[in-house]
Order: sequence, then C-alpha cells, then structure tokens
Amino acid sequence: MPDLRARIFAPAKDPLWGAALALLASLALSFAAIALSGRDAPAGFADLAAGAFDGRGPLGETAVKTAVLLLAGLSVAVAFAVGLFNIGAEGQLIWGALAAALVGRSQVPFVLLWSLLAAAAAGSLWALLAGWLKVRRGVHEVISTILLNWVAIHLVHGWLVAGPFAAPGSGAEVSVAGTARVVPAAWLPRPIAGSRLDAGFFLALAIAVAVWLFTTRTVRGFEWRAVGAGREAAEASGIPAGRRICEAMALSGALAGLAGALLILGTEHRYPGVFRTGYGFDGIAVALVGGGGVWGSALAAFVFGALRAGATRLQLVGIHPSFAELTQGLAVLLVAAPRIFQPLLARLRGRSAPIPAGDA
Amino acid sequence: MSALELSGIVKRFGEVLAVDGVSLSLEPGEVLALVGENGAGKSTLVSVACGLYPMDAGRVRAFGKDLPPGNPRAAIAAGLGAVYQHFMLIGPLTVWENAVLGREPRRLGFIDRRRAREEVAECARKFGLALEVDAHVDQLGVAAQQRVEIVKQLWRGARVLILDEPTALLSPPDSAQLLSTARSLASSGRSVLFISHKLREVLQVADRIAVLRHGRLVLVTPRSQTNAASLTTSMTSDPSRNSGTQYATPHANLDAAGQSWHSQLRIVSPNSDLRLEGKEIECESERGRPALRGVSFRIGRGEVLGIAGVDGNGQTELAEVVTGLRPASGRLALDGDTTFNRSPAAARAAGVVHLAEDRRRRALCLALSVEENFALGRQGSGPWARGRWIDFAGRRAKARELMAAFDVRPPDPLARAGALSGGNQQKLVAARELLGGPPPALVVAVHPSRGLDEAARRRVHDALRSARAAGSAVLLVSLDLDELRALSDRILVLFEGRAAGEAPPDAGDEQLGRMMLGQESARA
Repeated sequence: MPDLRARIFAPAKDPLWGAALALLASLALSFAAIALSGRDAPAGFADLAAGAFDGRGPLGETAVKTAVLLLAGLSVAVAFAVGLFNIGAEGQLIWGALAAALVGRSQVPFVLLWSLLAAAAAGSLWALLAGWLKVRRGVHEVISTILLNWVAIHLVHGWLVAGPFAAPGSGAEVSVAGTARVVPAAWLPRPIAGSRLDAGFFLALAIAVAVWLFTTRTVRGFEWRAVGAGREAAEASGIPAGRRICEAMALSGALAGLAGALLILGTEHRYPGVFRTGYGFDGIAVALVGGGGVWGSALAAFVFGALRAGATRLQLVGIHPSFAELTQGLAVLLVAAPRIFQPLLARLRGRSAPIPAGDA
Repeated sequence: MSALELSGIVKRFGEVLAVDGVSLSLEPGEVLALVGENGAGKSTLVSVACGLYPMDAGRVRAFGKDLPPGNPRAAIAAGLGAVYQHFMLIGPLTVWENAVLGREPRRLGFIDRRRAREEVAECARKFGLALEVDAHVDQLGVAAQQRVEIVKQLWRGARVLILDEPTALLSPPDSAQLLSTARSLASSGRSVLFISHKLREVLQVADRIAVLRHGRLVLVTPRSQTNAASLTTSMTSDPSRNSGTQYATPHANLDAAGQSWHSQLRIVSPNSDLRLEGKEIECESERGRPALRGVSFRIGRGEVLGIAGVDGNGQTELAEVVTGLRPASGRLALDGDTTFNRSPAAARAAGVVHLAEDRRRRALCLALSVEENFALGRQGSGPWARGRWIDFAGRRAKARELMAAFDVRPPDPLARAGALSGGNQQKLVAARELLGGPPPALVVAVHPSRGLDEAARRRVHDALRSARAAGSAVLLVSLDLDELRALSDRILVLFEGRAAGEAPPDAGDEQLGRMMLGQESARA
C-alpha cells in the first residue's frame, strides 16, 4: 500500500494551518454534539476553558500535559521524517518512565540529569530494537513496534514494578504499589507556587526548537528527510539509509522516553503500580494533526493538553471527561480526511489535482 | 464518423496554458502520431481525451457521442484505452488475471477462470501478440509487459488505443515488433494514437502526423507529405535548434555527422590512458540469477564506451555494479582504485556520477523540492552546505544555475520534484550529475535521453560530450542505437551477461542486431 503510505506521510502544504483548522473544526463539532444531546454546551465549554486556563493551577495543569504530549508527538514526527510509522512510543515511554523512576531513587549528584538521560537511553534502546529489525531483517516497523508495546507493558507492569523493583512493603495497601519514591533532588523543579507547572515544560519547548532546527536546517536532517522521501534514491546518492533510519528511531525513542520521565519526575515521583498513560498513543494523534511538522505538533499538543486539563470539569454539566479523547479523535479524522478525499473533492469542483500521466 | 474527435480543447494548470484550442480527429483504421517537445501538451491532451482531466473549454466525442469531461469511466466505456509509460500491472498476478482485473467474468458469483483465461488468450492470438497467459507478470520483460497492457485494453473492448511513448523502454527488435502491432491494430479497424519523440518511428508507423508546439496544434499532415526535417522545424519554434540535423536526416547522414564529430574530438583529446577497467565481472540479478557472467572492458580517459544489448542482458546490473549499488566478483578498478565501488557513497567520493535507469525511484526523492533534489548526493559540501548546516542561499543560487543550464521547467526551485514532467525530471538528474560538481572521473549514463525531446536530448548529449572532453570515462547504456552511435567511441554488446563483441561507432543496425541476439561472436 505504498499509495496510502505516501498520502499519510505526504507533507501537508502548510502543516501549521492544517493543524489549526482541524483543531478548530473538531472543537466546533464537539460543541455541536453536546448541544444536540440537550446539554448546556456554552456552560460546558466555559467550564472546560476555566479548567484549562483560569489561574495558575489550571494553566500549570495544561502546561504539564502539553509537555508530555509534545515530546510524545515529536517522537512520532521524528520517525515520520525517515518514513517510519512509530506506533511504539507508548512502550518506549514506559521504559523511559521506569528508568527515570529507578535512577531517581539514588542519592548521587545531579540525579535529575542522570534520571533524564537514563530515560532517554532506555526509550532509545527499545526503539532501536524496532529500527534494527526493520533495517536488518525487513520487519515492518508498525508490526514490531505494536508488539514491542505489549512486551514493554507486560514486562514492566506485570513483573518489574510488581516484583524486583517494588518498593519494600508495597502491595500491602493498594495505594503504595509501585517503586520507591524518587529523591526530591530528582523532582522537576516547580518555579511557580500554587501551580504544578514544572521545568519539564521548558525542557519540552527547548527540545522542540532543537528538533526543528535539526530536521530543517542541518545536513543530517536533510539526509533523514531524503531517506523518508525516497529510500532508494537516498541510498543511490550515497546516504547510508539504514544507519539514518536507526539514528531517527533512536531519537524517536529517546523523546518518548523523556516524555515518560516527565510524568515520573514531574508528577508521580515514582513508578506507580497502576500506570496506564496512553500518552504514547496520543503522540501519534499529535504528530498526525501536526502534519509531521514541529510547530503543528506543538499546537496540537497544546490544544489536546488543555482539553485534558479542562475535561474533568465537564462532569459538572453531565459530560463524561472522555470528551477530550472524542475531540482528539475528531481532529485526527479531520486531518486525515482531506488527504484521502481531496482528489475526489477536487474532481467534483472540476479542478482536479494534476495526476502524473507519463511524460508531458 | 470519427473514432475520436477533439474540438477546441483548452486546458490550463493555474497560470500555465497547457493545451490551447486543439482540434483533432482520429479515424477508424488509422494510426495518428502525436509529436512535440517535452511540455508541448501531448500528455495533457491525451489525459483530457481519456477523462483524467476536465477541460476548460472544448469537447471530446468518441464515435459520435459526447464524452462527459473528467470522467475516465465514460471514456473507457466509449472504447478508449490508454497504455502509459508506467505500466499499471500487478507483478505477482498472471497475464490473464491482470487483463481481466476489475472486470472479471463471473459464474455463480465466482470468477470464471476458464472463460477469462480463454478470452484473454484468444484476444492476444487475434492481434498477433505473443503472450503466455499463465505467466506471472513480474517474470516478463518490459516488451512483454507492454503487450499485456495492450491485450488488457483490447480485451476490455478498446477501439481507440492510445500509446504514450510506447517504444521508450524497448530495444530495437522489440520496437519494430510494436510498430507492426500498431499497424495490424489499425488494419483490423481500430484506431491508434501514437505519441512519440522518435521521428523515425513516427514516419514508419503513422498514417497522419500531428505536431503540437506550446499547446497548439501547428501541423497535421499525411505521412507521405512530410519528412523528419520539416517535422523538426515545426516542433521547435526556436530556429537555432534546427541547425542540429542529427535526427532530422536519413541514417547515412547521421553516421557521417557522428563520424566528423568523433574525428574532431579525437584531435582535442588524444590522451587515452586507462581510467576504468573491469576484468571477469560477475554478479547476480535482483532475483539471484546470474546477470553478469565474466564481462571485461576498459574505458580510457576521455572515452565513451557504449553498451548495447536487448534489455535484460546485464546492462542494468553492470551500471549498478560500477556505481556501488550491487556487489560483484572480479576485478574492477577506477584510476587504479579497486575499492571505489564498495558502496554508493564511496563511488560518489571517487568521482562516479550516475544517470540512473529508474529516475523516479533511484535518482529522485519525489516528495522533496527541486532544489533539495539538486543537493542530493553532494548535500554535505559547498555550495549546498556550510559545515553541518544547509546553506539555503548557496543552494538556491546553484539550483537556479543548474535549472537554467538545462531549462528545467517550471523554473521553480521549490516545486516538488514529483510534480515535474518525466522529461524535466530527467533534465534535473542530468544537470545535477553532470554539472552539479567537479568534473567526474566516471559517468555512468543509463538511457540518458529516455523521454526527452530533441532540445533536451541535445543538452544531455552535449553535457556528456563535455564530460568526455574534460577527461571523464563514460559508460553509456542505451537501447537507442542512434544514441549509442552518436556518442560512443566503441560499442560493447552484451548478450546474456557476457560480452558478445565490440563494434565501432559506425556499425550498422544489422551487425549490432546480430550481436545483440548472440548470433555473432566477438571480433578479434
């Protein structure tokens, strides 16, 4: 299905505008759906906005969620650049979270830095496994990363966190299941009192800028995109495509691992016994809505982050908080739909997109 | 009643007027040739006729019935069938399965395999198309795959066959076969619209010839009342282009022209020390079968070695071996270096440039911009980069320079490479490889002017000659004997992965043809 792949990975003309339009339209559709179900949509949206933006607390909540979503989204977008669809951000995120939680327990200088690095390395290694299988064995990355997700989930949740790395005495009460707490020196600092906003937000922003600079401005970034746009042509022009794919997967995994570290070092402060984030999968949505671009992904991460932060308040007007996921799903559909239906619509309007029909 | 009647067709793409009021009719039992330069509007006109594009003005009628614009299904139903350069076949399926795909005859809800198979075989027999209907398409050569496309259209009831550059990929014997197929289709009452750059073929096959220039129909003439020279004149508006008479003259003159050119350059570069040497090269094909079985050759400084042969006799693999894309055994040395082809990167570093056979797959990243594609292969050095960073200004300037040198159209460095026409894609590749960097040590050019019009073809040939004059060794693989004769110092004929012999550039069709079919062994 090279055609479908080409369409999914095709760089949107202007990813930022595409993302903005899709996000606005999905919010409008959600609004209409709530109104049609007979509930008070304006009040619901007001609550939603309050939960996301009204004051330090809500703003901090939005920022924390945005940061994790942004890193997860960048992880998927970076793999897009070399033409790989990394469905495995969730598994890489879990390993990153575990590595951060374990290293963060130790009393060493610069423990925060080591925890972050460990998380990046752990996610990176897990992703490299899929990259290596792809390059050396021709295993499709979608298959391998999906399967590796389950391996990670069951290894970590079913065994490591419950067994070897469980905090002493955990399990006696459900609430203390998981690993031991990380030392306070490993917590992401919270610069603003009364807000959960932590340094992870700024770290994520800085990483986004770096990823953008790297992919669009450097020679190596160009080589990644060339491999993504035409692996054989890139190879024939002397670019070691296999190595570039592994590099991109390593960075992709590192970013997912860091997203996991942000959850642990910013919010949980240990690897909890029950830890179903879904952030890895949301990263796919973020990158898709963002058209594979850094700024589009950042915008999508921000909107989804605000939705997640505000959605809990919606229960007050009788709307289930999964409303956030509904809106997210709609945004993905709205982004995907035009690429699939564009040729059809264009033909209906009598302005068909040029179809390559041999040499003109 | 005309089989196909186009009246006043106008088609714009944005600002560009691709087809400008063309009226043309095709009669039953006729072969009408449509000629013109790259970008003259041939493919656009055909796409309008087939309903792939809606027109901005005008009317398409087939057998007296108006066709709804932009509706390919209606065009097919009315009896139009097109065979494009890029075949639309599914490799693992058999010939008959490909022919009936999407219109399978059914019986009790299942595919009626026996009927389908017999009908396709009967259709191929009726039109004299040699095909084994149970063969899998990916095991067939290019010529046979093209026959599958033709049978597919005929089985579907096409009464007007549109052949888009049908001989571009074919060897001379296969081309001759195709031309006679076109004639026999016409004598059975079908109509053939034959699109080509090759005037010699057009003059052989067509009843009438229509010339497009800049989207306008400038000439429609019976074959008997024209010749190559006057067709060339009407195709090119720029009178200076007509001075080159190579393809506008009968064959004998062509050889003479080639000769005089060769003698000139021999004086300019008498130096012929060895640059590329291959000894007993052996390698396997994509499918693991022996492709080269002990080929030896030498190319000197400032020398062009032409490689002739029926497609699939090892030419593709030879080019891949020399460019580092395919491992091989035997000794291969470029300027004494036997490791230059250990990888494509190493070959590039050693000064090998490559005009690849499959440009869309091997030479271009279609989703990237034109200027990014120009950088491909030299992306880490000036003027494309400064250190580890892309040099945007340097890249833009160099891209504009290369685009101007080869007249790549549209002249937009930010256009997607995939949006360029095939001819312009090849110009991009030729400009990048031949002019984009320092003078190459070795030029590997595979079908370098495939799909190019006369002006572009001359640019590519001139660039190859300049490389030769600057001391490069040139390995030229082509199916076009005229091209081989015009450019080569010697011609090596490959047959079943071995050297069938070597011929001088003035060798005739017949001699080369015999060697290509393995009927004449190497001359002493």
